[in-house]
Amino acid sequence: MDPEVHSLTGAYVCHALEPDERAAFERHLAQCPTCAAEVAELQETAALLASAAAETPPARLKAAVDARIAVTRQIPPLVDHGPLRASARPPRRRWFTAAGWGLAAGLAVVVAVLGIRVGDQQNQIDQARQHSTTISQLLSAPDAHSDSASVSTGGTGTVLVSRSRDEAAISVAGLAKLAPGKAYQLWMIGPSGTRSGGVLPATASDSVVAHGLGDARTIGLTVEPAGGSAQPTTTPVMLLPMPA
Amino acid sequence: MLGRASSKADTGEEATLESCLHRVALGDREAFDEVYGQLAGPILGVARRVLRDPAQAEEVAQEVLVEIWRTASRFDAARGSARAWALTMAHARAVDRVRSADAATRREARAAELMVEPPFDQVVEAVEARLDRQRVRHCLEGLTELQRQSVTLAYYGGYTYSQVAHLLDTPLGTVKTRLRDGLARLRDCLGVGG
Repeated sequence: MDPEVHSLTGAYVCHALEPDERAAFERHLAQCPTCAAEVAELQETAALLASAAAETPPARLKAAVDARIAVTRQIPPLVDHGPLRASARPPRRRWFTAAGWGLAAGLAVVVAVLGIRVGDQQNQIDQARQHSTTISQLLSAPDAHSDSASVSTGGTGTVLVSRSRDEAAISVAGLAKLAPGKAYQLWMIGPSGTRSGGVLPATASDSVVAHGLGDARTIGLTVEPAGGSAQPTTTPVMLLPMPA
Repeated sequence: MLGRASSKADTGEEATLESCLHRVALGDREAFDEVYGQLAGPILGVARRVLRDPAQAEEVAQEVLVEIWRTASRFDAARGSARAWALTMAHARAVDRVRSADAATRREARAAELMVEPPFDQVVEAVEARLDRQRVRHCLEGLTELQRQSVTLAYYGGYTYSQVAHLLDTPLGTVKTRLRDGLARLRDCLGVGG
């Protein structure tokens, strides 16, 4: 462990790091349970600094919030595809579906193409509807950050991530055409393991939306048998760190 | 879960807040009213401390409170308290906004102001915050001058640690360390995670 990086816990908790430092620190956090525990404790401490600054909110704030939540759909309860925990539930249901940037049409179809078991059919449709707005919401999230990486066999991958929303959209372009029976598969890589992010559709110019990023810090891309694998079986052709 | 072991006489509050948040995730508006009652003050307060501008602070508070409603199901009690979850989000949003394009000039203007005024004199008293405020003030007084200034400028001022180093004319590594050991000492003084 690099003691220099480790000592950034305080600055991290105060949101006092530059974006690149923050991303580097989060990569370190992913591999350092001691740091993660310290960050959690310091966040509780910082919360008391916030509480100490409390002000009596004006009545108009409540009215404005009430008006907005009346028209704001909630993210469904995370029964089957919640954030990854250290106790690691099976990876199959944690996430989910694909869409082009802002592409609404055909979302339910894409879900079906990916063959991801997210629950009953109504749940799938609800999820698909929600994803059409998720990407535009992600794009406007105040803490939205994006990063790109080259794919070693050709093409590029881009991730748009918002930690406050606990969501990311991953987009690929210009990928090399694969032999029949092969497919690109995305992976979410974090300290508690690697889980599938789904097999990309054959025409992989769309985006995949990830909910419940959990502790995932890196997006990986591998070539797998067409149906996808439970865990990566080949060397990643792309490793894309997710910005903070 | 990291609690507030020896915090207020309201250790029941956290449990209530977390169970309320769970009900909020299920769409319970009354539970949201309860969450609002407990968190709107601190959320607005921290946004106000960082942003100064009351209108912008209210906008951020509104966004964060709506986000709590929207993402209540994503709260994971294994990772910390509901209060820390919400207030970390609020602080991050406020800091994001302060770092936006027009912020640079305003920060310059604020620097001198922040340095001369004792931080707590700027806060409007709110009854529900008084206990927290007293404890935090007491514990801040227990820090070294450099720890206190570093934590105050970074957390309440919304400065990056390199800006804090510049303002305090102190080496970067020192500020980094003071932020960490300052917060750690606050943690111990406030009995967090004990």
